[in-house]
Amino acid sequence: MDRYLRQITLPQVGNIGQEKLLKSKVLVIGAGGLGCAVLPYLVAAGIGEVGIVDGDRIEESNLHRQVLYASNKIGNSKARESASILQQNNPHIQIRVFEEYLTQKNAVEIISGYDLIIDATDNFFVRYTINDTCVALDKPFIYGSIYQFQGQVSVFNYKGGPTYRDIFPEKDQKVPNCEEAGVMGTTVGLIGMIQANEAIKIILEIGEVLSGKLLLYDLLRNEQQIFEFSKVEASQKAKIEPDFEFFSAEEVPEKQMMLLDVREIGEEPEIKLENYIQIPLSRLEKDLEKLDPKQSILVFCQSGMRARKAAKLLFEKGFQNLSLMSGGAKDLEYLQNHEEDLS
Amino acid sequence: MIQVKYFGMIAEATSKEEEKIDVGEKPFSEILSEISSKYQLGDLSYQVAVNKKLVSDFSKLQLEEGDEVAFLPPFSGG
Repeated sequence: MDRYLRQITLPQVGNIGQEKLLKSKVLVIGAGGLGCAVLPYLVAAGIGEVGIVDGDRIEESNLHRQVLYASNKIGNSKARESASILQQNNPHIQIRVFEEYLTQKNAVEIISGYDLIIDATDNFFVRYTINDTCVALDKPFIYGSIYQFQGQVSVFNYKGGPTYRDIFPEKDQKVPNCEEAGVMGTTVGLIGMIQANEAIKIILEIGEVLSGKLLLYDLLRNEQQIFEFSKVEASQKAKIEPDFEFFSAEEVPEKQMMLLDVREIGEEPEIKLENYIQIPLSRLEKDLEKLDPKQSILVFCQSGMRARKAAKLLFEKGFQNLSLMSGGAKDLEYLQNHEEDLS
Repeated sequence: MIQVKYFGMIAEATSKEEEKIDVGEKPFSEILSEISSKYQLGDLSYQVAVNKKLVSDFSKLQLEEGDEVAFLPPFSGG
């Protein structure tokens, strides 16, 4: 087959290298901006099985950077749509679709089927789930993320190497995603391409892998810097936090939960629902008696940061049935627009 | 003098990407808290690297002339 001839010609690849690629199984979590850059090159290079995890649907505001998607596919599943295009690009490999978000519930089942994991998500909390699951299952994972015109790439948990928690141990961080901070297609494209390149290097066992190294790429200055880091002693790491389940606003009616809004009074949009109470995070500790520790409570705010802090506080005060709402602004809009259905 | 570099959201908070600071004999932890309070970085999360190595224990570190300090926040876009 001539398909892979030009890469087989490379002395670092050869027939043996191509065999390694064809035998490998790579999971790409997120088929958004980074995923759209990572996926075509892995598929074209002949990775034997590529898994795509994404529960999201294509929106018009994705098209400028998620270049696999055509305008007439708005509304379609990203995982399914990308798989169908990529399968045409290379019909000789397996592509598996997971039309769902990665959660703490499904992470082990999905990740365990693959040799190498690529984190192409834009969600901070999912990154910790990927990290912790990869550590538990002993899988390396390639991290990539961007902020405006800067990107970070690193390979975590590679041959027992350091993990994401060795750089950023704390989950409670205020970090904006693309929706909030803005993004150019070329930025996610380049960062995703570096992730794909690391994947190929790991599989072929060539070059120097970004393990214990955080690559920071500033695309406005064309400057790359590599920062070294090592494993942090377990005793210095933050205490393992309680894990909360995530729900979307659409799942609320069937769950019979009390909705706890921890935004400050006056924050938009205003929400009026029956099973709803607003206690700003700043007042939560003083107003605990307004809540029943036995009641199942779904905590939310604008971006999810304060909700997580509030849930941790409630957990420490003995509340057991706590969960978080996942979608931020989207969920708030849903709550506002479905007041009648939910009450 | 030391060279300080700011990345991501931190550069937005400081309104600059780099600067030179005269630190004299001050301990590193004191320099960090001075920068943090000057630019109100208290709410933001970041890691600090000295000469391209991430620092996990600030207490023993003493900077030298010409050292490069970088403020690295986590990124989340994709």
